[in-house]
Amino acid sequence: MPNDYIHIILADDDEDDRLFFTDAFDELKMNTKVNTFNDGVELMDYLNSEDAILPNVLFLDLNMPLKNGIECLNEIKANSKMSDIAIAIYSTSASEEDIEETFVLGANIYIKKPSSFKQLKKVLAEVVSMNWQYHTNSLNKDNFLMRL
Amino acid sequence: MIKRIISKSAIFLRIIFLISVFLILLIGGFTYKHISNLTNSSKLVVTTFKVNVELEKVMSYLKDAENGHRNYILTKDTTHLEPYLTAREKVNESFAELKEIANHGPVQEENLKTLSKYIDSLFRNFTQTSAFVENGFALTEEFKSNFFEEKIIMDSIRHKISEMMDLENRHLQERQKQYQSNLEFTPLFLYLMLLLTLVLIIVSYSKINNDFKNIKIINNQLSIFKEATIQLETVGKHGNWVWYVESNKYTFSDNLYRVLGEKPRAFEPTFEAFLEFVHPDDRKKFSADVERMMKEEDLPFTYYRIIKKDGTVKHIKGYGKLLINNDGEKRIVGNITDISDEIERFLELEERNLELEKNNAELSEFNYVASHDLQEPLRKIQTFISRLEDKEAKNLSASGNQYLERIKVSATRMRLLIDDLLQFSRTNKPDKEFVLTNLNELLEQAKQDVAETIIEKQAIITSDVLPTVSVIPFQVHQLFLNLLSNSLKYSKVAEAPVIKITYELVHSKDDINLINIPKNEYHKITFSDNGIGFEQQYANQIFELFNRLHNKQEYSGTGVGLSICKKIIDNHNGIIIANGEPNIGAIFTIYLPI
Amino acid sequence: MKLFIKFDFNTICKKVLETKLEELDIKYRILAFGEVELLEKVPSEKYEALNDALNSYGIEIVENQKSILVQKIKDAIIDMVFNEDSTVNVKSSVYLSEKLGHSYGYLSNLFSEVTYTSIENFIIIQKIEYTKQLLLTTDLSLTEIAFKLNYSSVAHLSTQFKNATGITPSAFQRIISKRRSIAQQKN
Repeated sequence: MPNDYIHIILADDDEDDRLFFTDAFDELKMNTKVNTFNDGVELMDYLNSEDAILPNVLFLDLNMPLKNGIECLNEIKANSKMSDIAIAIYSTSASEEDIEETFVLGANIYIKKPSSFKQLKKVLAEVVSMNWQYHTNSLNKDNFLMRL
Repeated sequence: MIKRIISKSAIFLRIIFLISVFLILLIGGFTYKHISNLTNSSKLVVTTFKVNVELEKVMSYLKDAENGHRNYILTKDTTHLEPYLTAREKVNESFAELKEIANHGPVQEENLKTLSKYIDSLFRNFTQTSAFVENGFALTEEFKSNFFEEKIIMDSIRHKISEMMDLENRHLQERQKQYQSNLEFTPLFLYLMLLLTLVLIIVSYSKINNDFKNIKIINNQLSIFKEATIQLETVGKHGNWVWYVESNKYTFSDNLYRVLGEKPRAFEPTFEAFLEFVHPDDRKKFSADVERMMKEEDLPFTYYRIIKKDGTVKHIKGYGKLLINNDGEKRIVGNITDISDEIERFLELEERNLELEKNNAELSEFNYVASHDLQEPLRKIQTFISRLEDKEAKNLSASGNQYLERIKVSATRMRLLIDDLLQFSRTNKPDKEFVLTNLNELLEQAKQDVAETIIEKQAIITSDVLPTVSVIPFQVHQLFLNLLSNSLKYSKVAEAPVIKITYELVHSKDDINLINIPKNEYHKITFSDNGIGFEQQYANQIFELFNRLHNKQEYSGTGVGLSICKKIIDNHNGIIIANGEPNIGAIFTIYLPI
Repeated sequence: MKLFIKFDFNTICKKVLETKLEELDIKYRILAFGEVELLEKVPSEKYEALNDALNSYGIEIVENQKSILVQKIKDAIIDMVFNEDSTVNVKSSVYLSEKLGHSYGYLSNLFSEVTYTSIENFIIIQKIEYTKQLLLTTDLSLTEIAFKLNYSSVAHLSTQFKNATGITPSAFQRIISKRRSIAQQKN
C-alpha cells in the first residue's frame, strides 16, 4: 500500500481539544500522523499550498474564528483536488437539522465531541477504521455517512 | 320597510284626493244642472203666463177696439174712435212683446203669424166700416157684409187665441212633468255622492292618521339615531359630510369641524375650505381620490393627513357613498375618521414587535451560548475527570475515588439537562419552515431511531396509515420519537410494550377535546400504550418543564421530553392531551389543524 | 568459448515484470527498484498467476501471505453478502472456514490484525453498504431489504444500520437525495 501511515488533520481553535485529540491518537497507536491547525484560515492556507500532503481524514470544528467549519467544508467540496478527503465534523453540539445540513453539504462524518477520553479514543478509532474500510475496499465514498 | 309603506300610502292618498275632487266636481255639476232646471222650469211658467197675459191683453184690446168702433158707428161720435185707435197701438206693442217672449216652436210661431194676419184684416175691416160711416150712408148691403165679416174675423181671432193659450198650457205641462222626474232623482243621487265622498275622506283621514303615527315613530327613531350618531361622532372622532351633487353644495356635521380642530360652522362648508386642512403632501392624492369620487360617485376608503390650525397632524380615514332619494336627487354621503390614535397604537405595536424580535434574537443568542459555550467547559470537565480516573485513580484514596465518582455523576446529569434544555429552546424557534410531509415517513424514522429498544423490549408497534400534513418535519419527527420513547421507557417490567397509533380525521364540533375552538377539521393521532400509566390528576403537569412523576433512580430523564412535545404541538397550532390510568397505560392524543 | 556477459539485474527484472504484467493485462506503474504499483484492483486468481509466473524467474513478490488470505476472506464475504443464494442458512463462520480451508479462529485473528477490524464487523459493513446501494438504486422498502438480506426483522436492520452509521436508513436516504437535488441545481 502506498502510505505507511494514515494522515489526519484537525482544525480546532480550542487548545484543550487539540490536546485531547493528539493524546488520543498517541494512545491509539494506529500508525497515524496527526497535524493540527488553530483555525480555518490556517487550515485552508495549508491545504491550498503547493507541497501540502492531503490528509486521509480531515476533522473540522464548526465554531472557529475567522473561518468556520462550514466555510472550510464548502471550499474543500468546491475544489476537485481535495474532494477525495473524508471530512469529519468535530463539534461540541448540534441539532439534528444542523447535522443533516452538514451531511447534505458533503461531510462524511459528524462527531459530537465526547465527554470522556475513553469515548474519544473509541470514536476516533472507529472513524479511522471505517475510513480505512472505504479506502481499502473500494466502497462508494458517496455513501460514506457516519454519525458518532 | 317603513319608507315603503309611506311612499305607498302617498300614492294611495293621491288617488283618494283625485277621486274626491272628481266627486265634488260631479256634485257641483249636478247641482248646477239641477238649479238651472229649476230656473228653466219657473222661467217657462213665467213665459207661458206672460204669453197668456199678452194674448188676453190683445184680446181685450181688440174687444175695446171693437166696442169703440161699434160705438162710433152707432153715435158717429169720433171720441168713441179713441180706444179703437189706441187699441191698434197697444196690440202692436203686445205683439212685439209676444214675439220677444214666445219662442215655443214653429207651431206657435205659425199661430202668431196667422193671428197677426187676422188682426190686420180686422183693422182693415174697421177702417172700411168707419169710412162707410163717415160718408154718411149706413146699413148698406156692403156695410152689412163688412160688419158681418168683422164679427167672423173677431171670432177667428178669439178662437185662435184660445188655441194658442191651450197650446202654451199643454207645452208647460209637458215640461213640468219632465222636470218633475229630474227633480225627484237628483237629490238622492247627490246624497249618495256626498256619502261616498264622506267615506273616502274618512278613509283618508285614518290613513293619514296612521301615517302620521308611523312618521312619529320614525321621527322618534330618527332623533334617537341622530343623538347616537352625534355621540358616535364625538366618541369615535368621526365627522359627516354630504355633497348635494346637483347643486354642488356641501354640509359638514358639527363634529367634522371638531375633527379639523375648529368650532362647529367656523367656515363655509366647501371643498376648497376642506382642502385647506389637508396635509400638503397628501393634497394631490386626496384631490385625485375626490375626483374619482365625483366621476364614479362612490368613494372607497382613502387615507390622508390633515393639519390643524395649531399645527398638529392627524391621520384621517375617509369613506363616501352615493345616495339617491325618492325624488331622484343625488347626494354623496361620506364620513371622515380621525385614526391618529389607531396609527399611533399601530406604530407603538410595531415598535414593541421590534423589541420582541430583538428579545427573541437575544434569546436565540443565549441559546447558542448555552449550546456551545456552556457545553464546552462542561465537556472538558468531564473529559478531564475521565483522564483523572484513568491515570490517577490509583493515587487517590478510597474516599477521593468516591468523590470523583460523585462529580462524574453530577456532571453527567448536568450535561443531560443542558442537552435537553437546548433541545427545548431549539423547539422554540418560530422561523421554521412548514413542509408538506408524509407523517408515515416521520413515524418510520422515529421507529428506526428507537429500533434498538424495540428489539430489546420486544415491543409491538401498530399504526394506522397517517396523512400527509404541512408540518415542520424535524419537530414532528422529534414529537413522534419522544412519544415512542416515553411509551417504551415507562413500560411494565413483566410485559412487552404494545404501542398503538391510530389516526382519524375529526371535526372540532364532534370532539369533546376541541370545544371552544373555531369550527375546523383536525387530524387526530393517538399514541396509546400498555405501560405503567399515571394518575389522571397529573395529566397536565407532565407537560410542564422539568416535571417528573417518577424519581431519577427509577426512570432516567430530565422531564423535558413531553414539554418538547407540547411545544412542538403549540408551534403547529395543535393540541396535545394526556390520559392515564395507573398500571393500564397512557394515551397521548394530538390534534393537528388541517 | 566464453562469453562474458555484463547484465543489469534491474533491467532484466524490469523487463520480465513488464512482460508478465502485460501478459496478464494488469495496469501498473513501476515506481522504483523493487516497487510496483498496481493501478487497479487485481482478482486473487490473477494475482496468483502473476506470482507463479514471476516465481519461475526467481522473482518473488515480497508480500505478506497474510494479506492475500485477508483479501480472500474479503472476497468471500463480499460474494456472500452480494450473492444472496450463498447466504441462505449458512453461518458466516462455517461458510468462511469451509471455503478457505482454515479454522475460523485463525481467519478471524488474521483479519483483525491486518484490517483494524473484525470479520463480523466487516460483514456488517458490507451488508450496510449493500443496504445503502439498494435504498438508493431500487424501490425496495427497508422491510423488503431486511428480508432480502436475511435479517430477522426490519427493526434489526434499522438497529444495525444505525449502530454502524449513527443515522437511520431514512435519514441516510433523505440526505443523499438532498445532495443529489443540490448537485442537479448546480448543473
